[in-house]
Amino acid sequence: MPFPPAVARILAQASQPPEALQRLEAMHFQDAGHGYDAFGMHPDFVALGTTIAGPLYDRYFRVESTGHQHIPQHGPAILVANHSGNIPIDGMMMWLDVVRHTDPPRVPRAVADHFVPSLPFVGTLFARSGMVGGSAGNARALLEAGELLMIFPEGTPGIVKPWAERYKLRRFRVGHAELAIRHGAQVVPCAVIGAEEQMPQLTTSRRLGKPFGIPEVPIPAVPVPLPVRYHLHWGEPLRLDLEHQPADADDPEIVRQAAARVQAAVQALIDRGLKARRGIFR
Amino acid sequence: MTRPVNVMVTGADAPVGERLVRDLLGDSRVDRILAVPWKEAAHLPRDERLTVVPVDLSGSRRVHELLFGKARDLGIDVIAHTQLHRSAMDENERVHAYNVDAVRAILSLSERHPTIRRLVMRSDVAVYQIQRDLPILIGEHHPLNMTGKAPQWVRDRVEADVTACTRMGMTPLEIVVLRTAEVLAPGTGSQLYDYLESTVCLRPAGYDPMLNLLTIQDCAAAMQKAIHHSAQGVFNIPGADTLPLSAAIRRWGRIGVPVPGLMLAPAYRLRSRVTGRDFRYGMNRRRFHYSGVLDGTRARETLAYVPCHPVQWPTG
Repeated sequence: MPFPPAVARILAQASQPPEALQRLEAMHFQDAGHGYDAFGMHPDFVALGTTIAGPLYDRYFRVESTGHQHIPQHGPAILVANHSGNIPIDGMMMWLDVVRHTDPPRVPRAVADHFVPSLPFVGTLFARSGMVGGSAGNARALLEAGELLMIFPEGTPGIVKPWAERYKLRRFRVGHAELAIRHGAQVVPCAVIGAEEQMPQLTTSRRLGKPFGIPEVPIPAVPVPLPVRYHLHWGEPLRLDLEHQPADADDPEIVRQAAARVQAAVQALIDRGLKARRGIFR
Repeated sequence: MTRPVNVMVTGADAPVGERLVRDLLGDSRVDRILAVPWKEAAHLPRDERLTVVPVDLSGSRRVHELLFGKARDLGIDVIAHTQLHRSAMDENERVHAYNVDAVRAILSLSERHPTIRRLVMRSDVAVYQIQRDLPILIGEHHPLNMTGKAPQWVRDRVEADVTACTRMGMTPLEIVVLRTAEVLAPGTGSQLYDYLESTVCLRPAGYDPMLNLLTIQDCAAAMQKAIHHSAQGVFNIPGADTLPLSAAIRRWGRIGVPVPGLMLAPAYRLRSRVTGRDFRYGMNRRRFHYSGVLDGTRARETLAYVPCHPVQWPTG
């Protein structure tokens, strides 16, 4: 990072009340020896992350969240949501929502596409806040350590969805279902309403992303995200861990069906959320 | 009560080998020790249980004479092979023979040796591939660095490691390969140590990968545990220090200066030419961008190895 954790702490202290930071001190964190965990997360950068995301969450996107009682307070679990918006603000809002609505706070470990860790500055800042690259080995290690994973099974095709296809889920990849079955993790579906309208897209470019290994770079119609209102709807956990044996994770058909169930659960939450919404900005 | 073992230690002139010899001298489960430095090693302690025989193991004839000469006479049970060429700048056939052919000779001769029953070989974290789409936590099944562009320093280590692994379970010889994290100490061939020797350490802007570092004490302790254990296979040996590159620079009392990645290779090439330093940026480029931390679960569960000697950082 361009600055050490102490600077991150000072920045967080300068803009957040002491009780908010004190609450974060109780978060689940496995220190690998120098204040960082093995994946590079550092509590001071988590605090800084809440400082950066807080105003966006509270004032710009005015997030309303329901059903967060379904997020497990401990043990391995996978949070699965729709992905959209050209830039991953949906992940940031979900991340802060979980930190705020779990006690002691749990920091969701966002599992990002392979190119994210290779992005200069961004990749490091995200890693300090808990993000990991999307390899099965990282996910396995975190679930075995009882962590909370945050996965967007649509991947990059989800985030670059054109306006006309908003809230229509891209086909889910199946890795999350396999992980849940193999490692006995419950899956908590979540619908993110609002993000799909935050940056209407003009087109996408493959060439622009090539230097960074990004499959497709969206070209939005607006320079900054619109101040849409975010609604996060957390659904009841799917207990794939109870319905299957770990060995079932080797059966492609079982895994495919489980992923389809998760996708259906997220789509149902999206449909419900859209029906309940009074408008894009309300 | 089990019979004390007799141990041969190669690479006894290097810090890890020397430390292992000293530890074994203090180990009541060990009877005789045959220390094999590359050349005379005056700094090894004098002890009646210790025999020092300098041998250049790069020739198979010399290995033969050692194993079926002094090693047989002393009734050596276990070979602790710690020998690895330490300079990344040396690239030639002789270095290859020292790193790889020696392993091949030790393996084939030990398999038919009358007393040797176990080989504990020190390998290196450099054998693992580090790239953005691979796990940060490196298990023993992690992909190896088989890229053709890798320098001899890496290729030799991979070849020696794989040479030992391919013989596992094929003969009665018990083979253990310990893939150790980087030992941050002088004289160990540590690229990072050499890198940190500069007052100003250039690093790629925008990246701050996680590293895991080992000490000589823990490295020797892991080898000692493997010598006495009956388990075979590959074990990762992590160190007690897991931290980002920027923190390592800071804790070493150096000034880290982020610069665009493209400038680093020429800058360090120039440094190497001017000062004769060993650090090669090209060889470390990936691990200066992407994290790679050894997962020591298997060593902990099987060998009861837990790193307990953190690096003595100059800045406390």
